[in-house]
Amino acid sequence: MSREPENGERELSLSELAERSGTPPRTIRFYIARGLMDGPIKAGRGAIYSEEHLARLAEIKDWQSKGLTLTEVGRRLAGADRARPALGEPIGLFSYQIAPEVTVQVQANVSPWRLRQIQRVLRDAAILLSGEGEESFDDEDDR
Amino acid sequence: MAIGVNTDHKNGTFSIISSATGGEVKLSMQELMLTGTILPVGAVLRVRHVFRSGEDEPVEIIYAFGLPRDAALRRFRIIGDGFSVESELKPVEEAEKIYEKGIESGSLSSLARQYRDGVINLSVGNIRPGETVVVDLELIAGVELRDDGLRFRFPFTLAPTYHSQARSSGIGKGVGELELPPEFDNLVLPQWMKDAEGLHRIGFDLAVVIPQGVTEVGSPSHAIRFRHENDGHHRVVLAPEGDIPDRDLVLDVQTRVTGEESVGVTGGLMEDGRGHFALLIPSTLFRAGETRPARSSRLVFVVDRSGSMSGEPMIQARRAIEACLGTMAPGDQFGIVAFDDRIESLSESMLDGSQRSREMARNFLNMVDARGGTELAAGFMAAAKMLGAEGGDVMVLTDGQVSGTDAILATARSAGIRIHCLGIGSSSQDRFLTLLARETGGVSRFVTPRERVDLEAIELYASIGTPVASQIKVEAEGVDFAPAPPPTIFAGNPLVLFAESTGQTETVVHLAWKGADGQRKLDLPVSLSRRGEADAANTVRLLQGAQLITNLEAQGAKVGETRREQDRWQRMLSNLSLKYGLACQVTSLVAVVKRRGDQSAVIPKTMVVPVGMPGQTSFDAYFATFGSSQVDRSALFSMESSLRGYMMTSSPQISKSSDRDRLSRMDAVDDCLSVDAGHFALLREGSLFGLFSRQESDDPEPVDLLVQLAGQIEPDGGMPGGNSDERWIATALTLLAMLSEGHTAQAGVFRLHVARLLGFLRTATPPDAASPRRLFLEMVEAGTPPPFKDGLEKITVRGSAVLKEVQALERHWKIVEKSLVTRK
Repeated sequence: MSREPENGERELSLSELAERSGTPPRTIRFYIARGLMDGPIKAGRGAIYSEEHLARLAEIKDWQSKGLTLTEVGRRLAGADRARPALGEPIGLFSYQIAPEVTVQVQANVSPWRLRQIQRVLRDAAILLSGEGEESFDDEDDR
Repeated sequence: MAIGVNTDHKNGTFSIISSATGGEVKLSMQELMLTGTILPVGAVLRVRHVFRSGEDEPVEIIYAFGLPRDAALRRFRIIGDGFSVESELKPVEEAEKIYEKGIESGSLSSLARQYRDGVINLSVGNIRPGETVVVDLELIAGVELRDDGLRFRFPFTLAPTYHSQARSSGIGKGVGELELPPEFDNLVLPQWMKDAEGLHRIGFDLAVVIPQGVTEVGSPSHAIRFRHENDGHHRVVLAPEGDIPDRDLVLDVQTRVTGEESVGVTGGLMEDGRGHFALLIPSTLFRAGETRPARSSRLVFVVDRSGSMSGEPMIQARRAIEACLGTMAPGDQFGIVAFDDRIESLSESMLDGSQRSREMARNFLNMVDARGGTELAAGFMAAAKMLGAEGGDVMVLTDGQVSGTDAILATARSAGIRIHCLGIGSSSQDRFLTLLARETGGVSRFVTPRERVDLEAIELYASIGTPVASQIKVEAEGVDFAPAPPPTIFAGNPLVLFAESTGQTETVVHLAWKGADGQRKLDLPVSLSRRGEADAANTVRLLQGAQLITNLEAQGAKVGETRREQDRWQRMLSNLSLKYGLACQVTSLVAVVKRRGDQSAVIPKTMVVPVGMPGQTSFDAYFATFGSSQVDRSALFSMESSLRGYMMTSSPQISKSSDRDRLSRMDAVDDCLSVDAGHFALLREGSLFGLFSRQESDDPEPVDLLVQLAGQIEPDGGMPGGNSDERWIATALTLLAMLSEGHTAQAGVFRLHVARLLGFLRTATPPDAASPRRLFLEMVEAGTPPPFKDGLEKITVRGSAVLKEVQALERHWKIVEKSLVTRK
C-alpha cells in the first residue's frame, strides 16, 4: 500500500498509520477533529497521511505519558508549532500567598487529589503563620 | 443555563435554544429514552439514542456509558430516513474493521464496543449535515434483589473515576476532561459538565412485570408516575417531560410477599423444547424454624475518604459506622481503615467492642474527611492484614468511582476475605461493587446520597451478622444450574438460580445447605408451561447469559497469569458471547448502512457527547480549575466543594429542587463561608461536620434520633448512665423508643440493637415478680409493650439525643411506670 514518492517521504493509509502508531483510526479522527493534528494530505477512500502525522502521534503520546490531557496537549502543540523552544517545555506553577511575606509555589501539573492534599497542608501552614490557630510558633519558643 | 425548545417549522424538528445567547445549542445527541421491562430477576431494556448533526459536514459521534450490573448488549437497530438496519455480533477486531471500512467509504456506520470496567463506546459515523439518526439499543441487565423486592438502576451519566495514572484537568468553566492510560485501549471518555442543564434530555417509560404482584414502586432519584395497566402490569414513567443526565435512575419495586417461604419461578419452554427458568428463593426459607445462636463477629470497616465522597456521603458513612458499633458485644472485634491514596487505620490490630475502643473509633472517625484518590484495593488489603489468619468480614463504604476494576477484583480474590459493599453515590458503579461482593462471597447494596445511607449500613451490618445458609448444593435431573450458588446466603438477600433443562415440564429441584442448626434440605417442585412461555424462557436465558458473561469478564485479570491462560479466557468469553448472542469485552455490535450519495472523499468530524457530573460528586475533586496561576488567599481557604456538597444534598426533596430554592441555600452557604478564625479552628479540629450535624438536628426526625441512640449502646447492651439505676431506665426508654417506631428483635433496621437492649434488661432486672421493672420486661417480651405516649423526642435532650438529664429520664420512666400500673 505504501508508496515511495520522489521527495522520499513515505505515504501512509489510515490503517497503516494506525498500525504503526498504535493509535486506532477513530482516535486519529478524533485528534484531527480536536485540532491536534492536520487532516490527511489527500482525503477520501485511500486517504493519505505522512510521516509527519506519525511523528505528531508519537508526540501526543509522549505528552500524555507526562500526564497532560488532550486539551493541555493541544495548547503545547499550538505553542510548539510556532517555535520549538531549546530550553524544553516550561512548567506551570501555582503561587499561593499564605502570609503577607510568604509565597509558596506548586507545580501546576499535579493531579487534583495531590493538589488537594498540598492545599490542606498550605492551609494549615497559613493558619499557623497568621497566629489564628491554637498553636503558634511563639508557644514553642517559650518551651 | 436555561433552555427553551423551539419548533423549527421548516424541518418539523425540534432544536434547543440557549436562553443566554438565543442561539441554537449544538448538541450531537439530542435525546436518550429508556424503555423496556423490569422482571423479577432482571430487565430487558431498549435505549433510544437520537443523534442529529448540527454541523455542515458529516460527523462521527461517540457516546460513552457504563453498563448496569450483570448487563450485556444484545443488538441495536440504526434507523433513519428510509432505512432501518440491525447490528451484527462480531469479534472486536472484525467489528472494528467493518466499521472503519464503512466510515472510509462514506457509509453510515455504527459500532457498540465494550471496554474494561463495563464502559461502552457507541460510535455513529457519517451522519450527514442536518440528518437525524436513531440508534435503538437493546440490553439485558440484572437487578439488586431483596427478599421483599428489587432495586433497579440505570446509568444516565457516567461517573468520572479515579486511576493513579489518569490525566484530568478542568478545561474552562465547569468543564472537566479525564483520560485513562493506554491499557484502556483508547476508550473515549466524555467531557463532564458541572451543570448538565444544557445537555441532551433523558426520559423513561418502563413496564414492571412481576407475577406475584407489586405493592409499591418508588424512586429516590427521579419524580415518577406509576400506574396499573389492565393486564396486571405496571408502568413507570418520568413525571416531568424531560430531565437532565446527571444521575442514575433508581427504582425500588416492592413485591407482594405471598408467604414467608414462597419461591418465585420465571421462565418456560423454548420452541426448541429446552426449558429455561429462574428460581428466586427468599432467605427466610433457609432459616424457617431456626433460632439463631449468638456468634461473635470480626469486622473491619473500610471507609472511602476520596475527594469524590466529600459532603453528605462522608457524613453519612461516618454516622453509619457509629451506629453499627452500637451493636457490638464485648466478644466482638472490629477495626476501621480509611483510605484515599493513602491508608490510615484506627489501630494496627483488631479492637474489642469495649467502650474505650468505641470512643477511640468515634474520635478517629471525626478526623476522617474526604480528600484524595481512591486506592480501594490498598484499603481492603489493609483490612485483610488486620483480620489475619483468623479471617472475618470487611464492609466497604465507597462510591466505587475507580477505573481498572478488573485488577481490583483480582486482588480481592487473592486476599481471601469476604467483602460486603455499601455503595454510595448518584452514578452507577453498581456493576463493579456487585462483582466485588459476589467474587468474595459478600453482599452488596447501593444507595443514593439522598437516602438514609446510615440506615442501609445498619441493615447491611445486621445481614452480614446473620448468614442463614452455607455449603449450598442444588440438583435436579436433566437440569444444569449456572452460575453456581454463592458460598453463603445472608438474611434479607434471596438466592437466585438460573437453570436450563432438557425440556421436561415437571422438575423437582433438590436443595441442600448447612444452616445454623446443621444440615438441612428441601425439595422444590417446578412446573413449566409449554404454551406461550417461549418469550419468558428466552428472557431468562438472556439474563443468565448476561450474568455468566459479566462473571467471566470479572475473572479477566488474574494475578501472575500466563499468555496461554489469557487466550483461554478470551476463548471462553467469546464462546459464551456467541452462545447467548450477547456482546462482551471480546465481541462487538456493528452495522453499516450503504446509501445513495455516500461520499468517500470526506472524513467525518469526530465529536464526543458530553455528560453531566453525577449529582453529588464534587466537580473539584476530579477537575482542578484555576483561572490564573495567582490564587488569592480567600480562594485558598475556600471550602466550597465540601460545604456546597453538603448543603445541596441535605435537601429531602426527591425531585430536583427549584433554582430559587437552590439559590437561597447557596446564600446560606456563602454566609457560612465568610472567612473567620472560628471556622478554621473548627476545620482543624475536624469538627466542621459536627457543626453541621448540630445544625441539622435542630429538627431531627425520629429515625435520626434512633441512629444516634443506637450509636451509644454500650458493650453490655445497656445505655450509658451514672449508676445502674439510671442505666436501666435509659435502656428501657431507648428500647421503648425503638419498639414504638416499629423495630423489634426480629424485624426492622434496628433489630440487632433491640435484641441487645433486651439482653441487657434481662440480666439487669431484679427477679422480684412484683416490681414494675419486671412487669415492664414481661410486657415487652410478650410483644405488648406499654404505650409510649410521650414520643421519642421527649426522652432526648433537644437536638443532641443524649440521655444525660437524669431528672428528665426519671420523669419519663414515672410516666411509663404509671401506665404499667393502670394496665395491671
